[in-house]
Amino acid sequence: MKRNIAYLIIYIAASWLVSSPAEAGTLDSLQLRARAGYNIGGTMPIPLPETIRSIDSYSLTSSFMVSFDAMLPLTPQWGVMTGLRLENKGMKGDVTTKAYFMEVVKGDQKMSGLFTGHVEQKVKQWMLTVPVQATFMLSQKVILKGGPYVSFLLGKGFNGIASDGYLRKDSPTGPKILMGNREGEWATYDFDSDMRSVQFGVGLGVDWQVYKRLGVSADLNWGLTGIFPGDFKTVEQTLYPVYGTVGVFYRLK
Amino acid sequence: MNKYIIFIIGVCCCMASCIKDEALNKECDIESAWIEGTEYEDYFYQTTEMRKEAISSAETDIVFSVRSLLSLSTQIPLHFKITDGATIEPANGSVQDFTKGPVVYTVTSEDGEWKRTYNVIFQEAPLPAQKFSFELVETQTEKTMLGGTNEMHVFYEQTAAGPNYCWATGNPGSALTKNGSKAEEFPVYSTPDGKEGRGVCLNTQSAGALGEWMKKPIAAGSLFLGKFQVDYVLSDALKATRFGVPNSKEPVRITGWYKYKPGAKFTDMNMKEYPDREDEASIYAVYYRNTDNKGESYTLDGHDVEDLDKVLDHPQVYKVARVASLPPTDTWTQWEMFFEGRDVPDDMVAAQGCNLALVFSSSKRGAQFEGAVGSTLYVDEVEISYEK
Repeated sequence: MKRNIAYLIIYIAASWLVSSPAEAGTLDSLQLRARAGYNIGGTMPIPLPETIRSIDSYSLTSSFMVSFDAMLPLTPQWGVMTGLRLENKGMKGDVTTKAYFMEVVKGDQKMSGLFTGHVEQKVKQWMLTVPVQATFMLSQKVILKGGPYVSFLLGKGFNGIASDGYLRKDSPTGPKILMGNREGEWATYDFDSDMRSVQFGVGLGVDWQVYKRLGVSADLNWGLTGIFPGDFKTVEQTLYPVYGTVGVFYRLK
Repeated sequence: MNKYIIFIIGVCCCMASCIKDEALNKECDIESAWIEGTEYEDYFYQTTEMRKEAISSAETDIVFSVRSLLSLSTQIPLHFKITDGATIEPANGSVQDFTKGPVVYTVTSEDGEWKRTYNVIFQEAPLPAQKFSFELVETQTEKTMLGGTNEMHVFYEQTAAGPNYCWATGNPGSALTKNGSKAEEFPVYSTPDGKEGRGVCLNTQSAGALGEWMKKPIAAGSLFLGKFQVDYVLSDALKATRFGVPNSKEPVRITGWYKYKPGAKFTDMNMKEYPDREDEASIYAVYYRNTDNKGESYTLDGHDVEDLDKVLDHPQVYKVARVASLPPTDTWTQWEMFFEGRDVPDDMVAAQGCNLALVFSSSKRGAQFEGAVGSTLYVDEVEISYEK
């Protein structure tokens, strides 16, 4: 169903591009850009729950983005933009938790409880993203843009380590299972295959053509779907990918 | 580049500013309990017995062994270390009368929503047991968050001073990955088919996908005199088995009956199969000093007995007894083992200065997660002979 909606959006956007009647909307006025950028952000619960006590470290993993997009001006100021983006929304973060709910499912067994300690989290999300955005030309050189996007995941990774703490099994009065700070003493987890294959979100951004055909851009892409389906309980809160992109573009046409 | 840095700072600030106020603690444990003051020392055989440190999170009874209940003061102030922010009733350090049976303490969490109750028991140190027939068993139930109820057998001995929960099993470790299991589905349970009356069945089980994921793919059946501290099962499994209970007579020989059938496939902690290895059962005992050179209480754990050939080199250990071999058999067969090692000072023995650890396991290398699923050891009618 979701996939069908995504195809529909792409279809509408594409047909608009080739068949818009207004003068500004002729194919002659089509603007094409190639861009590359870097995604900076995190995949996190929003808002952060009180069970996350601190973010101890945060680093970016290879979160590159390359895209090709087309903008069709419909009026002198307004237009529509779509494209195809290959990107990774990755991150590595260390957080300290207090009584953070966790449930682990392996085969037909389950274990759940409250974890207090250190969590090292790695997220990898290679995806093909199709944005559909309305554009507004502030000037000949500056374009504001905003609209929804859909992402199809090509490579998924969600794994980490729970260490230096303990899990209270079942409840705060259940057995306290200690976790150490070395391999073999800590618990690792890996939920790659539980991740969603399609994500939706909204994006906002600005393109600024700085020198001849070269420009810089900044975008914010806010995930509206969690990276896991709703029935996935291992991580208590829904994790949303929220990433900013800084990039450069080259206007091809 | 500037933009990039500003962006990172922005993201970090946003994330940091989103940290909510810390919630009040939900836990309500007694972490340690002790009696302070030299005037109370005479009630105990060992001053180390006045302090109970590192109380297991699964413990609900805190037992102090005393020389005599009759001569015990009716006004003993007991002190506790409890979870930060939690409260305890009766008050911490308040004077209580322990001569009339257990005193119940209730600990309430800082947020007021969780409670735990503990029985604090002062008990006369039990006389050394001559015989263990494993007739007495209690079924302990534990509700899991997932809605099931686990049932586990707990073995105990009846003494003049009341029930003595001297036996421990690894069952609480297995319970972590179980939900709604009957007592007979655990690695150690009481069976009506003993040598005489009831006996004990120990069996090596698969710990399932979850166990495999935690690199603890099998759970050997293990029964021992001592305590199982479930807290360590994941971080340091060998530390979870706290072997030995005080014993004021020096053991010379232990005998008993067994049946054994090794499981089909011997595997290691990575579930790698070893077709040419056959699982073996293990029965051994260690007699050791329960106070170290610094005067602190000492309990032997799984690390100390990892290599039984070297246990006698351990500074705390006086004597070791091992059953040389337990060949597979489906009829009740007698075994015996003799203690060997160093001489034990008599006064230390009489003053409860030594612990006796007696250990049964359905897989000899079970503590290293090596063994064969399905290995089954039955034990019953264990007798201990002491030095005259």
